[in-house]
Amino acid sequence: MKKSPVFLAILMIALVALPGFSQAKIKVLFMPGVTDPFYFTMEKGIRAAAAKAGVDLTVAEYPKAWGPEYQIPILQAAVARQKPDLLLIAPTSTDALKAPLKAIYDGGTEIITVDTFLGDGDYSKPSDYSFPLSYIGSDNELGGKQMAEHLAKLVGETGKVFCEATNPDTSSVQGRVKGFTAGVAEYPNMTLVGVEWCLDVQQKAQEQTLAALQKNKDIVGIFGTNVFSAQGAYQAVVNAGLTGAVKICSWDATKDLIGALKKGQVDLVLAQKPGEMGSLAVDWGVKYLKDKKNVKVPKKVIPGFEFFTRDNVDDPSMQQFIYQ
Amino acid sequence: MADTASSTAAPVPSPLVRAAARNWSALFLILLFVAFGFAAPNFLSIQNIQSVVHLQTVPFLLAASETFVIITGGIDLSIGFVMGLCSVSAAEIVQLLAAKGLSGGTAVALASIAVLLLSLLPGLVNGVVITRFKVPPFIATLGMWGMANGLALKLCDGFPVAGLPDFLPRLGNGYLFYALPGNFVSLFDKPAGFPDARIRELWRLIPFSLPFIVAVLGFLAFRLSRTPFGRHTYAIGGSMDAAVRSGIDVDRHLVKVYVLSSFLAGVGGVFNVFQTGIGNYTTFNASYEFFAIAAVVIGGASLSGGKGRIFGSAVGVLVLAFLENGLDISGVQPFYRYIAVGVLLVVAVVIDKLFPDLL
Repeated sequence: MKKSPVFLAILMIALVALPGFSQAKIKVLFMPGVTDPFYFTMEKGIRAAAAKAGVDLTVAEYPKAWGPEYQIPILQAAVARQKPDLLLIAPTSTDALKAPLKAIYDGGTEIITVDTFLGDGDYSKPSDYSFPLSYIGSDNELGGKQMAEHLAKLVGETGKVFCEATNPDTSSVQGRVKGFTAGVAEYPNMTLVGVEWCLDVQQKAQEQTLAALQKNKDIVGIFGTNVFSAQGAYQAVVNAGLTGAVKICSWDATKDLIGALKKGQVDLVLAQKPGEMGSLAVDWGVKYLKDKKNVKVPKKVIPGFEFFTRDNVDDPSMQQFIYQ
Repeated sequence: MADTASSTAAPVPSPLVRAAARNWSALFLILLFVAFGFAAPNFLSIQNIQSVVHLQTVPFLLAASETFVIITGGIDLSIGFVMGLCSVSAAEIVQLLAAKGLSGGTAVALASIAVLLLSLLPGLVNGVVITRFKVPPFIATLGMWGMANGLALKLCDGFPVAGLPDFLPRLGNGYLFYALPGNFVSLFDKPAGFPDARIRELWRLIPFSLPFIVAVLGFLAFRLSRTPFGRHTYAIGGSMDAAVRSGIDVDRHLVKVYVLSSFLAGVGGVFNVFQTGIGNYTTFNASYEFFAIAAVVIGGASLSGGKGRIFGSAVGVLVLAFLENGLDISGVQPFYRYIAVGVLLVVAVVIDKLFPDLL
């Protein structure tokens, strides 16, 4: 039988094109919270997981500063351009992002919030912010509490401690401060003498910590709630010549903070797992999109923490938790 | 200048009143010291005052660069990010050179020189864009503001640049004298093996940054008030036309002023590496340039040009710093402190407008 060339051509086109049609690639958009090492590390985890899952990943522009007024325009432009099936976002406000994200969700995009959340972060009960698939991030309150316990051990469970925080309207920071406050309250001989907000400006954190050290000359421990506040706090202690006399606990394991730990300027570093948060978000989101009926995504996924001390900072197994 | 032109109408005030009015911000600073001396425990301690002044080294440099620019009637919005760009570049170059096997000291020295040379560039671009293409300084330097920020973030990938030699922060935060009252005085560093537990008893006097900044500001004040460079700067701000008629090469001079401005930001960037021991990009909401402008205005300069002094700007930096520090130590909530700084800024300009004869 003589095959018609037209038939052959159609067959070939069909063979090439069909797989493409039948499995249109899942489009994933990652919307980070702000330009900082934490989200860069998260992006790496997302990229690796996305490559493995074979999805089409776009990373939105990193907002230069923290806040809905910076994040929302970038988010809306990126969503309009790509029309993603899955949006992974670190909302920069517990309230201001509710409406824009609801609109995106109603447009047919599934949403997972990473690192920070909407409302109180509980998407399991019905509310105006319960539409995201899941919150994947740290239990910041628990972390703050564990931080207080570690700091208590370092200072012998007595004395005044101080907390240098960043932005008062952000769920993760609120949680850390709340947990730390509650944690310190469990030690009768310890007092939390103040909480300051540096708005992510290191110089400000440094000035505020120095002022706190003047106000209370006998502060024995400081908790810095993120990269900028912890760096500013430990540098203030170095400036004041009090290295060793004031114990510093810091949140987020940047190279600088790990270096400071090795030099004895910082005494404890909590590492979140941004890379793992990112890859878990991709894994769960893609799993759900491929089989919406049967896959049930947990409303909260908590990857946990690692604590760096001078004793374990050189362990090979710990190196993976340094942000880079 | 404005004061000679308008003093004919009203009766001439006594020299004392004039001096007081001219230096109202310095008087305000003294008032702050008295008030917080009562309200804020330990505010007047030598350690607190030294720490605050030490931490203002970079703001001093930025306010100085803004002073020259504002006197010419211009503005430089790029200095905050140029400072961060220089901090990051210096740290990156130190890392590069150290990786090539150079000793820490040589690497730091070479990197500092390279970055100080590099820091001339943004100013040169600003100056040329402003004079040759007649772009308003606000826009030209706003462009550089974005470029410097982006470049700094690109260079460091959004991470502070760490892993530099240990001696940097020791030098940057060092003091000339360390003393245990009644026991000993040691120079340049605390005595080896001094126990951490007793560190609070140690007195540290005169941070290295103090003679450095006094020398830099002194030199700049001299240039501004006693040399043709300074006179031309005032002349251009007083009246551009008059400056042209009197034969000043205005374009050339303006380029020099913007180059000086970004050079001082570069010095700030290098100092920042010494102070923190890492290369820091300027975070977006640090707003260094706006606080520098605020300090210059509080120090008695006028944004319309022709007026301003290095001494005044330095006082402006101290007023802002001690106001924040004092309110903080007295236990005032952080958010009220931002309000206080805002109010003070407006008051400064109102004083300037209300009493032009005196100032």
